[in-house]
Amino acid sequence: MAAIALPENLDLKAAAPLKAALVERRGAAIEIEADKVRRLGGLCLQVLLAGRKAWEQDGQVFSIKGPSEAFVETIRLFGAEGALLSAEFQGAES
Amino acid sequence: MDELEAIKVTFFQECEELLADLEGGLLAMQEGAGDLETVNAVFRAVHSIKGGAGAFGLEPLVRFAHVFETLLDAVRGGSVPNTVELAAVLLRASDILADHVSAARGLGDVDMAASAAMAAELEQWTDPNAAPAAASAPAPAVPVAEDVPPAVVADDDALEDDDLGFVFVPQTITVEAQAADAELIPSNVWTVSIRPKSDLYRKANETALLLRELNRLGPIKATLDDSALPPLESLDPEAAYVTWSVRVETDEDEAAIREVFEFVDGDCELEISRGEGSVDQAMAALLTVAESAPAVEPAAPAPVEIAPPAPVAEVAVAPPAAEPPKPAAPAAPPAAAPAAQKATPVEVPGPGQSVIRVDPERIDRLIDLVGELVINQAMLAQRVGEYGIAPSSNLAMGLDELEQLTREIQDSVMAIRAQPVKSVFQRMPRLVREVANMTGKQARLVMDGENTEVDKTVIERLSDPITHMLRNAIDHGLESPEERKAAGKNPEGVVRLAALHRSGRIVIEVSDDGKGINRERVFSIAVKKGLITPDLQLSDEEIDNLIFLPGFSTADKISDVSGRGVGMDVVKRSVQALGGRISIASRPGQGSTFTLSLPLTLAVLDGMVVDVAGETLVVPLAAIVESLRPKPEEVRPLGPVGSVLAVRDSFVPLIDVGLTLGYREQSPHPTDGVVLLVEGEDGSRAALVADAIHGQRQVVIKSLEQNYQQVEGVAAATILGDGRVALILDVDATIAMRRREGGAPRPTEPALIAAE
Repeated sequence: MAAIALPENLDLKAAAPLKAALVERRGAAIEIEADKVRRLGGLCLQVLLAGRKAWEQDGQVFSIKGPSEAFVETIRLFGAEGALLSAEFQGAES
Repeated sequence: MDELEAIKVTFFQECEELLADLEGGLLAMQEGAGDLETVNAVFRAVHSIKGGAGAFGLEPLVRFAHVFETLLDAVRGGSVPNTVELAAVLLRASDILADHVSAARGLGDVDMAASAAMAAELEQWTDPNAAPAAASAPAPAVPVAEDVPPAVVADDDALEDDDLGFVFVPQTITVEAQAADAELIPSNVWTVSIRPKSDLYRKANETALLLRELNRLGPIKATLDDSALPPLESLDPEAAYVTWSVRVETDEDEAAIREVFEFVDGDCELEISRGEGSVDQAMAALLTVAESAPAVEPAAPAPVEIAPPAPVAEVAVAPPAAEPPKPAAPAAPPAAAPAAQKATPVEVPGPGQSVIRVDPERIDRLIDLVGELVINQAMLAQRVGEYGIAPSSNLAMGLDELEQLTREIQDSVMAIRAQPVKSVFQRMPRLVREVANMTGKQARLVMDGENTEVDKTVIERLSDPITHMLRNAIDHGLESPEERKAAGKNPEGVVRLAALHRSGRIVIEVSDDGKGINRERVFSIAVKKGLITPDLQLSDEEIDNLIFLPGFSTADKISDVSGRGVGMDVVKRSVQALGGRISIASRPGQGSTFTLSLPLTLAVLDGMVVDVAGETLVVPLAAIVESLRPKPEEVRPLGPVGSVLAVRDSFVPLIDVGLTLGYREQSPHPTDGVVLLVEGEDGSRAALVADAIHGQRQVVIKSLEQNYQQVEGVAAATILGDGRVALILDVDATIAMRRREGGAPRPTEPALIAAE
């Protein structure tokens, strides 16, 4: 299983490397480590969403592991919890 | 818990502003302004007070505010018609709300019976059909709320137990209160559709920040649309594909929402609509989401999830589980939550305005320093002048610039302290209502010039005199409705409170259209109280002025309202202490007008520096109309000592300042000196004779009362450029003094007679 550790700051500059990293690992189950993330921007969100779709197409597991609080909070803010968070983080409870 | 106390103080400060907004809005509604904007503003004020109060567990306040708010919400929603009668009820409710706020602050008590009765009345307005519901409750509640308070409270409970659990629970925590709010109150729901362009990200802006900002306005639920997202391989990582539709629940208006997007203007397509978004939109959103990845589905119900009375209630099929997310950041530990919560409702007073609260002492210090700077600059200029430096030299020009800068600094500093008199005026409508109720009179307050600006120090001390004069106007001035009808007047009396700038001073007028001063009675009372001798001949104006004598009270019986015998003399003294004057004009059957004239600021003055009998005096420039050298043929003697000056077809009394102030025994001939034509507050003119004019200068006022004592004819003192102290002439007082001496032998200050 491939793994990617997300950097702290997922802003505009991080979007292209993130895409490249995902594209490179396509075809196998992937685990995204989101424990260090402190900022998540709209562009990286798009990359993650596109990645999630691609893995789904391939019938492979795309999982996000140990998301940081900031990551969870931002994903919810974006309304993307359904796509990018596992069930335990999807609820609205804090 | 110092921090909490500090927040509480802020809350009460905000409360005062909110109550003022509330009252202003309600008054506008009473005048017939029934537009949604006004109603919304009123609703917001009550809502914010309730929100803050909930945070501090101020239960009675929250409870009352909730009932109040519910009715306002119904008005806003159109289910209760917005009428003038309703506005009157709401105004009375706002008074009780203000009492609750004061009580919560530890100042005064709330009449709980009145509060309960008002709450019941509000409920009655909210839902006239509430009576049957109440009747079904165990307590045999009576439809109309004029019952004894306990029954009313039972009624209250029965009516609300389906939606208001939290209010009755002591120790309410904010988060709960807010969450309950979100469910109970169908607040403003907006749908904001955000379509970021790639430029938005390229300019280092961020959708997440926008959403976060929106979240500050109220709970949001974002629904993401990624249908335009290309497959991973062909995705341009720096282009924008995803769009959002955000449901925002906020009491702010559209402008506030728009403001969130201020910095991304043009880089983001924005659509803001009220409500849950149209059915079409909601369906479209559903469809797009359904087409896209199934994973996004859980978010789908959001667009159609609806608070009960929203316009598209038919589609409210979403399960109750689809609650809006709580506004608090999920990560925030519970302990921190109350503080954060509290701050949110109060920290957003109005869109686009940021206000700094500064300790007034700092400003006072600044003003003092600037005053010193002005004096210093004047001294410097004078020294340089003494060295005979040419006006065109660099030094002189530099000094000129310095003078201008100093002046600008001074103006700006003064502007910081200048405040509209509104802060005082806005307390008055309530006073008028209460006094009118107490005295059984019908009174309407008309206010004018609320935005007239005056120095803060003056404003602070305006409140008492105005309160007193208004009470007097209603209690003594206005007749009872029957008397008014009999006199052919509108049974509702009008009391007018106006502020305006006139000749560099602020003038406050309190007038009524009542019966005017009963001079015979005033005279006989003054005689009875031994204030004047019965054989004294007084002019109408002098009789009117008798009411300013200490210990004078015209009320037949001492009422709660006014007439404790500490009336107008106190007003007069407090006005004089401010360097102001008060005068009366009264016409029988038509009403009276009290005019209060005060200096705009107690700090600086533009004046003409003149020389009188070897003394340097400053005459306020605002009073001077013109200065001239009289020709012998223009001076005409009048009476044994007086003389008048002919100025363009009219005669103006000539006043030798030196003689009036006691600098000399014998006046020189007016043609030897310079004449300053001045205009008094009442518009009367006089010609002041001085020996020479030194020039025009801005002077810093140093209070004579504070440092020495009040001197008649002198308004204050100042320090001149050369370090000498000069007196500032009180023009009106000088004219009055002259009139007294040169005119009829009787003094206008009857107090003197009383002393004899």
